[in-house]
Amino acid sequence: MTTTASPATVAAPRARRFRITGPLVGTVLVGIVVLFCLLYPLLPGYDAYTQNLDKMLLGPLTDPAHPLGTDALGRDEASRLALAGRITLGIVVAIVAVNALIGLVIGTSAGYLGGKVDTVLMGWADVQLALPVILVLIALSAALGPSVWLMIIVLAATYWVGYARVARGTALSLRERDFVIAPRIQGASRWWTARKHIMPNVAVQILILASTDIGGVMLLTSSFDFLGLGVQAPTPSWGLMISEGQKYIRQAPHLALVPGIAIFLVIIGTNLISQRFTAEGSALFRIAKKGKRA
Amino acid sequence: MARYVLRRLIQAVVTLAIVVSLTFVFGRLSGSPAAILLTENAPQSQIDALNHRLGFDLPIWQQYLNYMGGVLHGDFGDSYRQPGVPSMQLVFERIPASFQLGFAGLAVGLLLALIAAVSIHLTGRRSLRTIFLGFGSLRQAIPDFFFGLLLVLVFSVGLGVLPSLGNADWRAMVMPVLTIATGQFVVYTRLMDNALSEQSVSDYTRTAYARGERHGTVVLTETLPNALLPVLTVAGINLGTFLGGLVIVENVFAWPGLGQLMLGAVYSRDFPVVQSALIIIAVIFVVANLLVDLIYGLVDPRVRLS
Repeated sequence: MTTTASPATVAAPRARRFRITGPLVGTVLVGIVVLFCLLYPLLPGYDAYTQNLDKMLLGPLTDPAHPLGTDALGRDEASRLALAGRITLGIVVAIVAVNALIGLVIGTSAGYLGGKVDTVLMGWADVQLALPVILVLIALSAALGPSVWLMIIVLAATYWVGYARVARGTALSLRERDFVIAPRIQGASRWWTARKHIMPNVAVQILILASTDIGGVMLLTSSFDFLGLGVQAPTPSWGLMISEGQKYIRQAPHLALVPGIAIFLVIIGTNLISQRFTAEGSALFRIAKKGKRA
Repeated sequence: MARYVLRRLIQAVVTLAIVVSLTFVFGRLSGSPAAILLTENAPQSQIDALNHRLGFDLPIWQQYLNYMGGVLHGDFGDSYRQPGVPSMQLVFERIPASFQLGFAGLAVGLLLALIAAVSIHLTGRRSLRTIFLGFGSLRQAIPDFFFGLLLVLVFSVGLGVLPSLGNADWRAMVMPVLTIATGQFVVYTRLMDNALSEQSVSDYTRTAYARGERHGTVVLTETLPNALLPVLTVAGINLGTFLGGLVIVENVFAWPGLGQLMLGAVYSRDFPVVQSALIIIAVIFVVANLLVDLIYGLVDPRVRLS
C-alpha cells in the first residue's frame, strides 16, 4: 500500500476553489444566452419569418446580414435562434415555476399537517418510477394528438414530487421549532401558522432547487420538441430547430449545431451554478432526486 | 424467504394492474376514435358500426371489464391503422432490435463505468476522478438526441466511416450504442466511485489493510463486491427511464425498435399499438425489479427477514 493510495486521499472532497468559480462561469454562460434571446430581437436586422429562396442554407459568417447563416427557407438563423430561445426558455421557466408552487403547497401541508397527504405523496412517487414522463407523454399524445399544452400539463403534473419531498422534509424539521409553536399557543390556526411561518422558510429551499432544475427540464422539453411531442411547427423551439437541422446535416450542419450549442450552454451553465448547492446541501438534494426521474 | 417472494410477487401484479388500467384511462380520454379513423363526413351509420365493433357503445365500466378480460386472455386489441393485425404482434416484432440496442448500450456503459471507478481507486489519483467526472458533466449537459447528431457529424459526414441510420450491420450499432453508453457512464461512474469511497473507510477494509493485504487486493476483492450491490438497485430503478431514453436514440438513428414504432403510432394516432408497447415496457420494468429484489434477498439476509 502506497501513501498516495490511502483511502482518505481518494475520498477527499472536490477542491474548494471550483465551488466558487463554477457558479460564476455558469452565470456568465446562462447570462450570455438569455441576453442574446432578449436583446437580439431589438436589433434592426431582426426578422425570424421572411423567407428568401435566393439565400437558402447560407453558412455562418458568409453574409453580413445573416451572422449565423440562413435555414432551408432562407430565414435568418440568428433571429430564429433568439425567437426559439424565448419560447423554449419561457416554457422551461413556466414548467419549473408551476412545479415549484404545487410542490411547495402540497409538501408543506404534508410535512406540517401530516396524515393522508403524506401517504399519497409517497405512493405517487413509486408509481412514477414505473411510468417515466416520456412514456406517459407518448401515450397521451397518441390518444389526444401531440401539442405543446399537453407537454406542459404532463410535465407540470408529474415533476412537482421532487419539490414536494424537499418541502415536506423542511416543514417536518420546522414543526417543533419555537417560532412555530409560539403562535399556536397564542391561538393561531394551523393553516395560518403554516402560511405565515413555515412556507417562507420552505420557499427558500424550493427556490434554490428550482434554479438548479432549469437545466434538467430544458433537457426534457427540448427532447420532446425534437421528437415532435412538444412545440409544434411553425412555432420555433431549439429542439424543433435541431430536428429540422438533422435533415440538412450534410449541406448545412450549422442548422443543428447552433441551437444545440445554445441548449448545451444553458444546461451546463445551470449545472455549474447548482454545483455550489449540491455541495452545500447534499442531503436536501438526495431527497429531491428520489422523487423525480424523467 | 417464501413469504418475501410472495409479497414481492403480489406487489408486482398490483403495479402491472395499475399500469394496464392507466393505459385504459388514457385511451378513453379522447372518446371514440371515429374522428381519426373515418373520413370527416362519414355517415352516422358508419360511425355507429365502428363504435359497436370497437365496443365504444357500451357503458364505460363494461368497456373496462372487457378490456381487462381481453388483456388476461392475451388480446390487446387490433391496430387502428393495420386492421386485423393484433397490436401486440407489431410490438413483438420490434422487441429484438430494441433489446439488442438497449442491452449493448447498458453493458458498454456499465463496463466503462466499472473500469473508470476501479482505476480511480486502484491508482488513488484525484486527477483521474476530475477527468472522468468532468467528462461526465459535459456529457450530461448534452441531450442524447444532440449528442447522437454530433457523432453523425463526425463519423458519418466528416470521416464517412459509419452509416448514420438503420441497423444493417455492426457498424450501424456503434453510434447509437456510444450515445447510450456515454449517458449511462456518467450515472454509474459517479455511483460506483461514491460506493467505493464509502466502503474504503469501513471497518472490514481497515482490517484487511491491518492484515497486510495489498491495496489492489483490498479494492478488487473486499470493497468492489460490496460497492456493486447499489449499482444493481439503481439500474433496476432506472430501467423505466432508460427504456424511455431508448425512444429518443432509436429516433435519431432510425433504429427499427419499439421506440420508433411508438412514435410512428403517435403520429398516425394508432393508440392500441402505443398501449401494447407501454404494457410490455411495464412488464419488463416490473420483472427486472422483481429479479433485482430477489437477488438482493438471496444475497442479503436483512432484506428477506425484514
